Amino acid sequence: MNVEISELTRRFGRTEAVAGVDLRAGPGVFGLLGPNGAGKTSLLRMMATVLPPSSGTLRLLDRDPRSYGPRREIRRRLGYLPQNLGYYPGFTVAEFIEYFALLKDMPSGQVPRAVAAAIEHVGLGGKARAKLRTLSGGMLRRVGIAQAIVNEPELLLLDEPTAGLDPEQRVAFRTLLREFGQRATVIVSTHLVEDVAAACSEVTLMDAGKIVFHGTPDELIAQGEGHGIGDAPLERGYSAVLAAARS
Amino acid sequence: MTATSAPVRCTPQAGRAAPLGLARLLRVELRRNAMPFVLPLIALVFWFDSYRIAATLPPLWAERLFYIFGQGHMLIDFAPFVAGVAAWMGSRDGRRGLADLLATGARPRFAVQFATWAATVIWAVGGYLVFMAATLWALSRSITYGAPPYWPLAVGAVGVAAFSAAGFAAGAFFPTRFTAPVAAFGALLACGVSSQIGFNEGTGWALILPTNSNSNFGQDAGVFYQFLPDLPIARVMFLGGIAVALVALLGVPVTAGSLRLRHIATVVSAAGAALTVTAIALTATAQVTGYGTVIPALHDAASSRPIPYTPVCRNAGIRVCVHPAYRPWLADVTAALRPVQTQMAGLPGAPARADQVATLFTVGGPGLGRSSVGQIATISGQPAVLYLPLGALNLSGAFGQDRTDFLDAIKLQTVHAFVTAGSGYGDPAQTAVQAALVQNAGIPLARQARQALPDSPWGNAIAGPPGNGGYPAQIATAATRFAALPAATRHAWLAGHLTALRAGHLTLAQLP
Repeated sequence: MNVEISELTRRFGRTEAVAGVDLRAGPGVFGLLGPNGAGKTSLLRMMATVLPPSSGTLRLLDRDPRSYGPRREIRRRLGYLPQNLGYYPGFTVAEFIEYFALLKDMPSGQVPRAVAAAIEHVGLGGKARAKLRTLSGGMLRRVGIAQAIVNEPELLLLDEPTAGLDPEQRVAFRTLLREFGQRATVIVSTHLVEDVAAACSEVTLMDAGKIVFHGTPDELIAQGEGHGIGDAPLERGYSAVLAAARS
Repeated sequence: MTATSAPVRCTPQAGRAAPLGLARLLRVELRRNAMPFVLPLIALVFWFDSYRIAATLPPLWAERLFYIFGQGHMLIDFAPFVAGVAAWMGSRDGRRGLADLLATGARPRFAVQFATWAATVIWAVGGYLVFMAATLWALSRSITYGAPPYWPLAVGAVGVAAFSAAGFAAGAFFPTRFTAPVAAFGALLACGVSSQIGFNEGTGWALILPTNSNSNFGQDAGVFYQFLPDLPIARVMFLGGIAVALVALLGVPVTAGSLRLRHIATVVSAAGAALTVTAIALTATAQVTGYGTVIPALHDAASSRPIPYTPVCRNAGIRVCVHPAYRPWLADVTAALRPVQTQMAGLPGAPARADQVATLFTVGGPGLGRSSVGQIATISGQPAVLYLPLGALNLSGAFGQDRTDFLDAIKLQTVHAFVTAGSGYGDPAQTAVQAALVQNAGIPLARQARQALPDSPWGNAIAGPPGNGGYPAQIATAATRFAALPAATRHAWLAGHLTALRAGHLTLAQLP
């Protein structure tokens, strides 16, 4: 198991953003759904080793991230795209990705090839030398994805990765997710249920810091049969589960 | 986006990859650092504030570099910009919202920040060294003797690094867009306060401040004696300690890296602080000698030895010899001495030769510690020799002084040494005779008042030089009367009364 979470809690003052979550995930693409404030980002940040848990246990890639050495090893094998991606406007696309490849402690000799491959992977080959300040929002998102995959991570955490992508790019991105999911654990936090339906083998629905559903997309769809609101089957399942959790 | 090519799978080899990876990181940071953008602005400020003024000063290294090194303008011009840009770079990750992403890096956060700072400081110190090299080269074109002091140059380089460390640390710990301007202003304030303290504190610990203009080096450093490195070494320690302490401080927070790294950073930071405190303590033991500031624990006796030289000489009725560094002024010195010599020739105690002597640090005004100002010409020996500390005079070109001022100062000092035998300002009779002789040597009474050296012991001896509004009426009348005597009469009277006059036994009424 690449991710093993047990009774994981994170508090911010009196607010319990993540409240006793249990989760286990091996290779595959996992969708993390939930309304605003459900705790998805906090959970992802804990899995990204950015945010220490308040309580509970967290094992990533068979390591305990509380200790520095294992945490560093996890980070070498981790890819993370935060919800709000900052960037250095003066860097070129290639420099920005190279920068993060180096931060991930990649062997120096492998960096140029890895950077070029990641850039090609997100379809920005023609923009490798462009300054980040000249890119559109969608292109910047793709740069963010490229930096997350440059080290070919074993654990890939993506927070709202398709925000700003056009339909064509989203389709390509889902292909990319499926490809990565064959050999790594990919956890995608999103509001867009169609991404989950298209790319995820499992889906987890959070509300108020708790996991209120965990199963396959088909199982979530089944939850919505004859219930809920929404245009798509998965949306109806999503609404039905949330309604049940809140009742 | 395409799914045709898979990313390269990399095997982490942190141990071996780290140095090369850091080098690549540094290369990226060097390429995208903000410092190069402000270097042209710094160059402009440096040219306007430092080089432009230094280039007009007399062509001696000590004179030309006093403004840049002695008063610390090399730091004043650099520090605000360097601190501001370093703060901008230090706050970059926080301002750009990259904190989360950077936190997931496997490389210790401290190593990444260090690479950013290193790129910043390489640009800043590199720019400083290039500007200074260009400045020294440009200044050297008209300087015919000696070499510039290199320790003060190092003080500037380490000072630039210290200000960049301070700015960067401020930016890293307080990553807001306001940190950079606040850091720039803070650096300017620090330099200003340091200069101001220097104006009032000319000794002790305050000498450690790199913009303290006191007791750095005398006018004849690098000519008669060496630029003493003691104080610059202490300043390098002081500023280097600050730089080390502040940069290592970045490695102390929990997020900086491993526990071991944080412990090392804490120790290094403490060591830097200790180095700074040690430098201050050493400077508190400094003794300002005639040749410069000596810090016993750092002093090398060899650096106190005079520099051997062969004087260059010329005839002005008497033989006039100066240090070869002063060759450009030899003609002026002889021109100044010739009419004075005409007045003194054949009289008892008249100098048979004039030699330049080294200008040494002497006690300055109240609270000023020591400076070279105030040393005056003397006549001594048998046969009498006129000893001229030319470095203590305002050489033509020095801060508003022109050639006439320089010539007048030599005339005044020579006659003063001759008439008063080196005592203070002189009694009224001595003053009147002196004024008359100087007038006959080409300086009208009114101009003599302007030419007196206000900071000299000569001027201070009777609570003020004659310059404040001119000589008292009785002295001026007596001087005018004495000057109007036929040369032979005046000469005969002086031959008979000069000894009594020097001894202070004559009154104004006894003058012819």
